[in-house]
Amino acid sequence: MSPLGSMRVQRWTPLSVGSVAVSVAVLVLLAFGPALFSPNVIDKLTTLFIYVLLAITWNALAGYGGLVSIGQQAFFGLGAYAAVRLTHAGMSVYPALILAAILVAAVSVPLSAFMLRLRAGEFAIGMWVVAELLHLLVNLDGLIQGETGTSLIALDAYSAVARRALTYWTALGSMTVLLVLLLVLLRSPTGAAIQAIRDSEEAAASVGVRVLTTKRVIFVVAAFGAALAGALWLSTTITFQPKTYFSVQWTAYMIFMVLVGGLGTFEGPIIGAVIFFLVGTWFGADGVWYLIGLGATALVFALFLPRGLWGWVDTRFGLRLLPVGYRVVAGREPPAVPAIQTPHIRS
Amino acid sequence: MGGSVLTGMLHDGLTRRRMIAGGGVAGLAMAAGGRRAFAASENVLKIGFVSPRTGALAGFGQTDGYVLELARKSLAKGLTIGGKTYEVVILDRDSQSDPSRASQLAKTLINSDQVDLMLPISAPETINPVADACEAAGVPCLSTVMPWEAWYYGRGAKPGQPSPFKWTYHFGFGVHEFLETYVSQWSLIPTNRKVGVLYPNDADGNAIRHNLAPLLAAKGFTIVDPGPYEDGTDDFSAQIAVFKRAHCEIFNSFPLPPDFAAFWRQATQQGYARHVKICQVAKTGLFPSDITSLGRLGYNIASAAYWHKAFPYTSSLTGIGGEALANGYENETGKMWTQQLGASLALLDAGVTALQTSSDPKNKAAVAHALSVLKTITIAGKVDFTDGPVPNVSPGPIIGTQWVKAPPGSRFKLAYPVTEHATDPNVPIGAKLIPYNA
Repeated sequence: MSPLGSMRVQRWTPLSVGSVAVSVAVLVLLAFGPALFSPNVIDKLTTLFIYVLLAITWNALAGYGGLVSIGQQAFFGLGAYAAVRLTHAGMSVYPALILAAILVAAVSVPLSAFMLRLRAGEFAIGMWVVAELLHLLVNLDGLIQGETGTSLIALDAYSAVARRALTYWTALGSMTVLLVLLLVLLRSPTGAAIQAIRDSEEAAASVGVRVLTTKRVIFVVAAFGAALAGALWLSTTITFQPKTYFSVQWTAYMIFMVLVGGLGTFEGPIIGAVIFFLVGTWFGADGVWYLIGLGATALVFALFLPRGLWGWVDTRFGLRLLPVGYRVVAGREPPAVPAIQTPHIRS
Repeated sequence: MGGSVLTGMLHDGLTRRRMIAGGGVAGLAMAAGGRRAFAASENVLKIGFVSPRTGALAGFGQTDGYVLELARKSLAKGLTIGGKTYEVVILDRDSQSDPSRASQLAKTLINSDQVDLMLPISAPETINPVADACEAAGVPCLSTVMPWEAWYYGRGAKPGQPSPFKWTYHFGFGVHEFLETYVSQWSLIPTNRKVGVLYPNDADGNAIRHNLAPLLAAKGFTIVDPGPYEDGTDDFSAQIAVFKRAHCEIFNSFPLPPDFAAFWRQATQQGYARHVKICQVAKTGLFPSDITSLGRLGYNIASAAYWHKAFPYTSSLTGIGGEALANGYENETGKMWTQQLGASLALLDAGVTALQTSSDPKNKAAVAHALSVLKTITIAGKVDFTDGPVPNVSPGPIIGTQWVKAPPGSRFKLAYPVTEHATDPNVPIGAKLIPYNA
């Protein structure tokens, strides 16, 4: 048999089949959380799910779309604000959280027409400007009363137990939907286009990828994810003070999670979110030193492990838990060196 | 997420001991339930005390360590309520001036420490998220040191409608007290009654512009407002020109300390400050450090205090009076006393009284009811929830004061006498208001 004849393209590996099965099992188990865990664990897990949402959507934007934004708090804050407005208009709280995110995604479509014309650094700073602008606009709303803010007291209609469980399920469901959405998106032809743009925008355009449309899809998905996270965060903290929601710290958290976990990998940001969550829980009380520690960690990763933890695992062992790429395998023998991962190797 | 994470979570729900066995799991155990320091017990009362000890509002929390130490000493022998003696544990937490952090701390205190009473203090960034978490979880909560309007209306209550809050209560100053104090203070010196106001475009600034400025105008003051400025502005020439042109002899502002320092230096350089007879500043100038950092320009700035060591009350919890509290702090730390000392102690006074007057301090509804009818005297004066402008609120005084150069031989550079007492006539006046440009 000629060497060429024995090559085949592989998408599902036994490992990825196994890890998808485990992920599904974990998610199903988590769905029974409120019956199994203490209230404190439920609250903490809800926070973790929101972190995962933030990390995977920023990673989709920056890691896959090549769009480094430091203004995702625009959507985070707007999502929370929309939820406040919708519940004020009499809508039931939990549907309002989801609808708020959908509305923000709708707003991000026309916004993308302007923002995606900007490149690299311009886009990053431009997004921050958008966030500040939206912050000021939200402050003008009489319901919000400037920086004084307001609270989602409609939540008081639910008992503490019901509210905790509903918030938890909404967060878990949102995270799962976004994970599946991104997985499906990355496996679709659009996904191939997205990853081609990530590797080289010019090269992708030269082979016929519709760069702007593809980027727009990612931009809107990322806006939706951040808005959902913002609305969910509001449902966990109740207090809406615009300064907190439109704070650049949210984007800093996203960057930290993605940078530490692994930019442009599917698994990385999830790991990054878990790490950020654990570090925050253990060292959050240390205040200034905690923030210095976070910054130093991000710095060390940027300098010595630029592809993050999962990027390192990936190059070292060629592990791929979730089937988002393709690999070319010679015959039935397992590859001795990391397999060629068509869309994954960076130029 | 890995399998070990899930097992950790699972075990936390089933048996806590088993989960600590696994290495990777142990970490999560700490993350999830490690703060459960004390077992819930029938004879232990737990009080959560959340204040900003670090971050932008650290000035407020600076004295809390000392006040908590006093409170713990007084509570060391326990608290006898209804013939039963309870051990009282105060769990103090640092909100880091961050609302997200405050909210998470509150949830941990509620869920894992299972506090019986929550006492958040100092500024909306800490108080509002903690109060919201308590309201949602059904935990009694008492707070002080922020304008009550921002606490009540800033959390979704609507004017003219019944109070939406069942579990949360707040005492202390509001816009009405500021009005009385300013009218009283500004009448102490003859001026042209023209007030130059520099209100920022933030929560306090906008609230004051919309609520206080019209009332001052109705009292016969001419308000000269060059419009909102953004926090962090470094050039105030335009505003200074407006104040100079209108010849405003009274100046009033609610700025952040660095903004005020920038403004006041420029106002001095550009020749406005020497026309000012009363420089009345709020938010900045609460604490000696704000004024010391202005150097010579800080002398004779008028201020207002929610507590002063001249208050004639004693702490119901510790039995300490104002002078003793201030002197004790100065002796222990070598720093000048601040108005926060009395406010933090007043919150502990009122909180403990609510526990004592409740029919059952371990019953959250009973404690919340005790708060709703609380009528007591703390080191900072009267707290009375039976007679407030809205339910859940007991308004408190804000007393006119002035930062002046301390007489020679004093321990500190500054002195801080009381100059008027419209909102609590029991407080003795210590000195006459001195014109800024005297």
